[in-house]
Amino acid sequence: MFLDIDKKPAAAIAAIDDSGERVTYGELAGAACYVSGLLPPRELVFCLCENRAGALAGYIALYQNKDVPLLLDAAADKELLRLLMELYGPSYLWLPERMAGEFPVEAVGSYKGFVLAKTPYNAPKMHDGLSFLLSTSGSTGTPKLVRHRYGNLEANARAVAGIFGWDARERGICHLPIQYTMGLNVINSHLYAGAAVLLTKSSLTSSAFWDFISEQKGTNFTGVPYSYEILFKLRFMKRELPYLRTLASGGGKLPEDRFAALAEYAAGTGRRFFSTFGTTETSARMAFLPPEMAMLKVGSIGRAIPGGELWLLDDSGSVIGNTEAEGELCCSGPNVTMGYANSRGDLSRGDELNGVYHTGDIARRDRDGCYYIIGRRQRFLKLFGHRVSLEQCEMLIGAEFASDCACIGSDPCAGSGERMKIFLTDQSIAEQVRAFLSEKTGLPRSVFSVSALDEIPRNQSGKIDYPELKELNT
Amino acid sequence: MTNLKKYRAAFAEGLEIDGAQAEGASVGTVAAWDSITQMSLIAALEETFEIEIEPEDIVALNSWENGIEILKKYGIEV
Repeated sequence: MFLDIDKKPAAAIAAIDDSGERVTYGELAGAACYVSGLLPPRELVFCLCENRAGALAGYIALYQNKDVPLLLDAAADKELLRLLMELYGPSYLWLPERMAGEFPVEAVGSYKGFVLAKTPYNAPKMHDGLSFLLSTSGSTGTPKLVRHRYGNLEANARAVAGIFGWDARERGICHLPIQYTMGLNVINSHLYAGAAVLLTKSSLTSSAFWDFISEQKGTNFTGVPYSYEILFKLRFMKRELPYLRTLASGGGKLPEDRFAALAEYAAGTGRRFFSTFGTTETSARMAFLPPEMAMLKVGSIGRAIPGGELWLLDDSGSVIGNTEAEGELCCSGPNVTMGYANSRGDLSRGDELNGVYHTGDIARRDRDGCYYIIGRRQRFLKLFGHRVSLEQCEMLIGAEFASDCACIGSDPCAGSGERMKIFLTDQSIAEQVRAFLSEKTGLPRSVFSVSALDEIPRNQSGKIDYPELKELNT
Repeated sequence: MTNLKKYRAAFAEGLEIDGAQAEGASVGTVAAWDSITQMSLIAALEETFEIEIEPEDIVALNSWENGIEILKKYGIEV
């Protein structure tokens, strides 16, 4: 069975959520059996997720039944959900019971607060190897999906469980959303190890979160840079966290002083700090820095995970032979997905990446073969751990407002992560644009700042002059 | 500006809601109240009243009313 779930002790806890709901390994296997009686294989199922045992059980059961789940945020913008449904035509939904009335669907089964419901659509034609779908960004209004093949999630779960040395005693804190690749990897790697996942919906800034992980004896924590900003603000290093043994980062670049402080804290308290790196396209993780190197290699993402390979390409696309070098980071391995989908028809496409992914990130490799992310080729930002495409935002603004516009990123620093800077030619709509982007991305207005220009600088071919805008922004 | 006005403005700025909605706001009633806006709210309160809010108060802050109670600890009467 998926992640060898049926080989774990049936009574062992697979997940506990902070509403008190729990699910054992035996129940997960039972849920898979139950769901297989409700729908045939190869249906396309939109799972509207929140960090609840019922969402986790649904995803596992549908995956096991060879249906193709797409995990989405149950709290996502309703317009975005409608757009995705029209675009892809899912044949079933797996969603919280209370939301079933919001869609024209017929419930056919239910499990731990979630229902399986039939939509008016028939399943699309899908490639036999297609196992699973995730959105490239947790929150932006882009319908672009990553097509996973059978073996991707399994390979990454196994590799990551091995790196961290998870066993059945581990109790992993999962505050990252299930539908976010890194959150899903926390779940999968723990299930593979027969460990328990502590699913929390309550925010890091609530006492409910801290009470939950303390009562449930959470042993490890995986966070994006913003999670760590909150932890630092809460002076977590001074907290009594007797069960917490491992800290891991992923989903973006920690400021160096934060990285160093975490490495030092871990070393000084007998804990482990893992810096990891990955993307949705690589089923979450492609690189990690062994914790014993964290103090020596501040800011590094380390080396390839077992079974994978990392290398650098120069501007002409050739592999760089020198050990110490800079170039575009590429990776290969069984965790590399098949490519993207932008519509229902794309779900029948085969493997277009063939096991090789070009990250679009510029990395430096030191003489010991450790990698450091230093910049990006592609135009996107990591805002609160979520990838937000600058191009997409420009298009959204362009379609909604009568103003020329250009979006760039402002560099992260301690205390404040990356931000988006929007240049407009019409100052009067500045606040409207901020509110609009906030609504579309689900991110607070404060991450968007607006400046007005008489005109957006362009080069001779009419393309926006981004280096010039960067200058204007400093 | 009175402390009440300042408090209302900090709530509105931090949670990105109208000042009129700030009074009586709580985690349960403001959809946008999550870890991100909570951090903005804390920053707005710290800046407005020139204080540093302790971690146990940061995690306790979940409504307009208990925010007023918390500020009393810092000698601020709203």
